[in-house]
Amino acid sequence: MSNFTIPVGPLHVALEEPMYFRIDVQGETVEHVNITAGHVHRGVEYLITKRNVFQNVVLTERICSLCSNSHPQAYSMAIEQIAGIKVPPRAEYLRAIADEIKRVASHLFNVGILAHLVGFESMFMHVMEVRERMQDIKETIFGNRMDIGANTIGGVRYDIDPASIGYLREQLDALLPDVEEIIKIYNTDASILRRTKGIGVLSYDEAIDCGVIGPVARAAGVNYDVRVKAPYAAYDRLEVPVHTLKDGDVWSRAMIRLMEARTAIDLIRQCLDTLPGGPTVATEERPAIPPGEAIAKCEAPRGELIYYVRMTDSPKPERVKWRVPSFPNWDALGIMLKKAKVSDIAIIVNSIDPCISCTER
Amino acid sequence: MNTLKILLRNLVRGPSTVPFPFAPAWTPERMRGRIEFKLSSCTGCRACEQVCAPGAIRFDKTPEGLRFMMWHNTCVFCGLCEFYCPTDAIRNGNDWHMAHAVGEKYGMAIRETIPYVACTACGMKALASAPNPAGVKPPFTPEEIEQQRNLCPACRKKALAERGVQP
Repeated sequence: MSNFTIPVGPLHVALEEPMYFRIDVQGETVEHVNITAGHVHRGVEYLITKRNVFQNVVLTERICSLCSNSHPQAYSMAIEQIAGIKVPPRAEYLRAIADEIKRVASHLFNVGILAHLVGFESMFMHVMEVRERMQDIKETIFGNRMDIGANTIGGVRYDIDPASIGYLREQLDALLPDVEEIIKIYNTDASILRRTKGIGVLSYDEAIDCGVIGPVARAAGVNYDVRVKAPYAAYDRLEVPVHTLKDGDVWSRAMIRLMEARTAIDLIRQCLDTLPGGPTVATEERPAIPPGEAIAKCEAPRGELIYYVRMTDSPKPERVKWRVPSFPNWDALGIMLKKAKVSDIAIIVNSIDPCISCTER
Repeated sequence: MNTLKILLRNLVRGPSTVPFPFAPAWTPERMRGRIEFKLSSCTGCRACEQVCAPGAIRFDKTPEGLRFMMWHNTCVFCGLCEFYCPTDAIRNGNDWHMAHAVGEKYGMAIRETIPYVACTACGMKALASAPNPAGVKPPFTPEEIEQQRNLCPACRKKALAERGVQP
């Protein structure tokens, strides 16, 4: 068998996002992986210093479509910390609801793509159809399918009345059996199990070494979830179970995502049951933001998202820096892809749910 | 087996896609679509211009008055203008049918002017904008809004003081 180098990407490795791998193979087996990043660098960190704090809520939302609620949420939390704004309790619950709705949609999307990469197209279509219910919820309650625009400095920009609570409950009741069914299929279907069990393994020790987070870490047995370790929004008042598995393979990561999607449905219901009354924003007018710096973090669908914001006397931030979950996770790809078969590369890359536009911004 | 069951069920249920453009597509009430502007409610506070993330909204002083200009093709439908508008003069409607020929692109804008008028009390040149409702209790009646509109800023203040703040 001869050695040669194959290019994978930058287009269409798993998701339609550019990521370029130069892979040295020995026959069919991956020997070495070289990841080249930077294809979707748009200079968002620079742009953010050219816009005022309120415009940036929208700019951060558009960094990435699947985590489009987590970015403005962490950003708003950091600004609120600088300005000393206390978010009203109703807004905290509404933030948790928005977060969980996005999580269900994001996780189902990734699990659907997995079926597509396995070659199980009808399953892919089915998962996307189930996910469509979440998209309808977002469009009906927030007004957009992806950029839901839930957050603002000091609270949330949407409110739910009894009619939309009824609609949301009805949709969740219809969604849950479908998600249960998908979980059952991923647990038992031979073609999915054959392609995902024991593929792209990341052990507990390697997960700790690479500092992976989110579902990738939890699938390797690392019990870490920002919603539990450092609760934000209403999560300190909710019962949040953290799912972990031991194997750390592609299948475990898909299962963690499916179980979290099911848990998210339960969390939305918990929020709706105990939703307090009152205002949805701390101040009606645009609050003044004093100079200062702050760090805030939240659990995006892909893991821990950290925001650092520094304000001076100007209405525009002096520096905004964020650490996205895909950054430590894609470092672990080197370990996961080692000794993998060429045909499994796309499945393994997809299993960390890479978000290139967040990472390269 | 599970898959076969799903396939069968989908056959019975029929397509779950919408036959757009041959039939109307479902659009929720709250969907953020084309911007709608109500000139008579605009206070000219320019909050929407300051928060507009892509810079689609602009106010210009012209000899006739204060011109509001908004470009639909620059708008990102974020809804910040609606959220910060004190009088709901600007809002996202749920119309999303915005495809147009390139030739019509300069028409894809809202251009409206808040005119200058002579103050009915002192005769000074003043902008005929709606009064800002922030902190006014009880809220303005429609008659009061029309009365305030034709006053200059100083006379508006005077009229408000005479009205008194009622608990």
